[in-house]
Amino acid sequence: MPRHSNDRLQGTLDLLILNTLARGGAQHGYAIAQRIHQATDDSLRIEEGSLYPALQKMTAEKWLRAEWRVTSTGRRARFYSLTPEGRRQLAQQEERWFAIIAAVNKALRFA
Amino acid sequence: MRLLRRMANIFSRSRRDQDLQDEFAAHLAFLEESEQASGRSPDEARRAARLRFGNPVSHRENAVDAVTSTSIERMGKESAFALRRLVRAPVFTTTAVVTLALAIAANIAIFAVVYRVILNPLPYDDAGRLIALDHGAHALNFPAGIGMSRGLYYQYALRARTIEAVAVYVSEDLTLVDDGAPERLHVVRATPTLGAVLRRAPALGRWFTDAEAVPGAARVAVISHGLWTRRFGADARVLGRVVSLGGSPTSIVGVMPADFTFPDARVDAWQPEQMTQAMGFGIFAYVGVARLRAGVSLADVRAELNALIADLPHAFPGDPFAEGNGPGIKLFSAAIPLKDVVVGNAGRGLWILLASVLFVLGIASANVANLFLVRCEARQREIAVRRALGAGRTDIARYFFSETAILAAAAAIFGVAGAGVAVRLLVADGPANLPRMQEIRLDSVSIAYGVVLAVLAAVGLAAIPLWRRGSPTALQEIGRGNTPSAERQRLRKLLIAGQVAIALVLLVASGLLVRSFQRLRAADLGFGGTSTLTLSIGLPETTYPTRAAAVSTHQAIVDRLSSLPGIASTAATTCLPLAGGCGFGNTVLVKDHPSPAGTPLPVAVFRAVSGGYFEAIAMRLVQGRALTRSDVDRREPVVVVNQAFASRLFGNSSAIDRYIASNRPLAKSGPNASPTWLQIVGIVADTPIVAINEPPFPQLFMPMSIAGGPDFPLPSLVGPSVSVMTFVIRPRPGLTIDLTTVRDAVASVDSTLAVAQVETMQAIVDRASATAAFTMVLIAIAGIAAVTLGVIGIYGVMSYAVSLRTSEIGVRLALGAAPSLIRSMIVRQGLSIVVAGIGTGTAMALLSGRALTPLLYRVSARDPAVFAETIGLVLGVSLLACWLPARRAARISPLDALRAD
Repeated sequence: MPRHSNDRLQGTLDLLILNTLARGGAQHGYAIAQRIHQATDDSLRIEEGSLYPALQKMTAEKWLRAEWRVTSTGRRARFYSLTPEGRRQLAQQEERWFAIIAAVNKALRFA
Repeated sequence: MRLLRRMANIFSRSRRDQDLQDEFAAHLAFLEESEQASGRSPDEARRAARLRFGNPVSHRENAVDAVTSTSIERMGKESAFALRRLVRAPVFTTTAVVTLALAIAANIAIFAVVYRVILNPLPYDDAGRLIALDHGAHALNFPAGIGMSRGLYYQYALRARTIEAVAVYVSEDLTLVDDGAPERLHVVRATPTLGAVLRRAPALGRWFTDAEAVPGAARVAVISHGLWTRRFGADARVLGRVVSLGGSPTSIVGVMPADFTFPDARVDAWQPEQMTQAMGFGIFAYVGVARLRAGVSLADVRAELNALIADLPHAFPGDPFAEGNGPGIKLFSAAIPLKDVVVGNAGRGLWILLASVLFVLGIASANVANLFLVRCEARQREIAVRRALGAGRTDIARYFFSETAILAAAAAIFGVAGAGVAVRLLVADGPANLPRMQEIRLDSVSIAYGVVLAVLAAVGLAAIPLWRRGSPTALQEIGRGNTPSAERQRLRKLLIAGQVAIALVLLVASGLLVRSFQRLRAADLGFGGTSTLTLSIGLPETTYPTRAAAVSTHQAIVDRLSSLPGIASTAATTCLPLAGGCGFGNTVLVKDHPSPAGTPLPVAVFRAVSGGYFEAIAMRLVQGRALTRSDVDRREPVVVVNQAFASRLFGNSSAIDRYIASNRPLAKSGPNASPTWLQIVGIVADTPIVAINEPPFPQLFMPMSIAGGPDFPLPSLVGPSVSVMTFVIRPRPGLTIDLTTVRDAVASVDSTLAVAQVETMQAIVDRASATAAFTMVLIAIAGIAAVTLGVIGIYGVMSYAVSLRTSEIGVRLALGAAPSLIRSMIVRQGLSIVVAGIGTGTAMALLSGRALTPLLYRVSARDPAVFAETIGLVLGVSLLACWLPARRAARISPLDALRAD
């Protein structure tokens, strides 16, 4: 069974999560989903069914560090933050993303 | 690293599950809060949050899968499925596991023996550097077996640079007298260097010192763990205790560890040999052992020792023995690894045995492979579906390997358990003369060997269904009623032929060994009287300091025993047949017939006997007369020789009334200025000295009254010392001997004498063939197992072939083929495979026969009768295995067969 059913989409999700954590610091899963939702002007909604597998995988790969903390509202939640490896991954994936975007744009324009 | 982490993931799964649950609960709470914030009631908010979040169970599974769905876990899942599949096929599973387990058990057990006895026979530190310091003599035509002398010991100890330490020792039986009953001990008298050579220290107390090894020093002894527990109740206060050993007060200074039984398991105690270099070169009374310096080869040490031998006359100026027993007989070093001496020819038999059980494992695996192939045929469809759904070659391999791995693992577990039982049986019933036999355990090395075999079996079995071309890759190729691919049929036939071939090789080997053993047991030993009782009595030199005293005491014991009711005859000898050289052999001179220069001097083993010895032991007199009581009484200078002696020294001319003498350096004048000539008065049949299968060796028997004794020490070269003699007591026909009356009779002569080594002649003969029996029985078991498994294999495959051809046979029958024709068709098909196997097996047996030759006695490794019988047997049982399915085929009802299709 392949690990990612759709690798390109999953890769995009990874990139979004990494980026959100890089900008907003340590956040829990709900906050990450909210932040992406808001940042994309409500056009991208992250399914919980995709969010948590991605978080699990990236934690296992040591891109993210997870720890239980208490929120400002007094609730216990698992906060994710970037590791140095996560930052490296973010840089790489961003680069790759922009390369793909450029390539796709080119193709759309001249095909 | 990756793998480790994944495994850790699997183990931390429950922890992860808990975290995810908590996390989801938090997420739901946040959702609820935001829904409430947008104005919904708490209930509505909760419902909306739930709806929005989705199914937490499937989320959790996805999340967990994201990190742990790895090849390991898939293998685990596949194994669970495989286990379920195997459980659903109990007959196949049980047959496969039992077959493999038995074969693996046999392999582990034999490997445990080989590992201990052959690969690791010496329980000493760095044992690879230990050598036996043996010698040969070109002038005597002796390649080895001469041993060591005092002079050689000092020459080597002082001057050899390739040797780190050297020791010599000699074994003797001494009587121990303390508070309990007198007991004969097997004592090794050794130079104190023995401890350094073997690098072993006493478990208790100390080893003896150089100061205790000079003539006149107070006597000390180090005792074995066995004697310590048996005689002294494992009491540590035994140290410093003074006992009478061989008539001399001896203090016990040490106890060796339980596993130290040098040179063999019989040893009870070690004492310092009291000697100095000034005592001269001496005779070859010792056995030598040495430790090589690191990095020295056997060739190096032999070269150096040969140079030292050439120098002996300079090292011992004026010593006639240094010349006569050194360069004079063209002495040379025959040093060999001590391991080779200890293992001896037991090694070859055990290696052959290990190969045999490996063969049996091969046959067992072939059987399981055949069963497995049949299973695979039945699951063609399942495999094809898996392939159609995108399973790759690896996935299919994993599918098969998961099954064979479970089978092999189960077989390994049962195999190890079975091997534990087998090892215990082997240790209990194995021949005592195998080194370290009692120490054989089912250790981790042997278990690891079994596990490796099981893994190989699993991989090999899984590879078989994959090993073929033209495998169906698409569903449409699996038609209804298709016969399996020709490729698989060929593979199955190949397996059967291979099984038959291997079974034939093993059966031929066991047939040859059985034939050899029969000949060994039927061999003419030259003596008889299997119910004859033998026992050994040693006279301490302190109480019996002269030959005359010893002879008269032995004669008194013979007389007393002879007068007991139920005893036909009694006599005494210094050495029984099959008891070894007993320490006295020498070159022989023939009167008026000097050996031509350059030819090897004749060598003979010397025995001293009481009158009536040949009658008591039923040794056949070939010519002339036997030695009598009056020869002993009158100290007649006469000898009886064996046939080998007569033909070796006198060829075709008569040996009777010729004069011979023990070869010794002659004095310038006096009574020792000329040899002591002995007249040959009789010739007896050849008797074995060490082993039944040895070529006859010259022996001579002299009256005990003219042999050696305390006042005629060995270097005087008259004959063997008569201090220790073995008594043979032949009961009247139909009667048994009461040992108590025997002991009483001996005690009535001297109550301090210990009776030792009581056994029958039959026991001695049995022991001499014990190793041969051991190898034979085990290889015969392997052979029978091989042929049984082979027959089961043939039967299974032929039955399966018939079942596949049911419809074809039905058509044939419907079209009018006679059942007998169908029968012979099936039998012919099976037999063609069997015959191919027999041909291959016969060729293999002929080629590998040379490995067996040294184990065979009067049987050629290509014995036509054994080959014919074995081929006939294999053919016969194969025919039966083919005929049963053929009969079933001929009975097929055409209607049923066609309907069933």
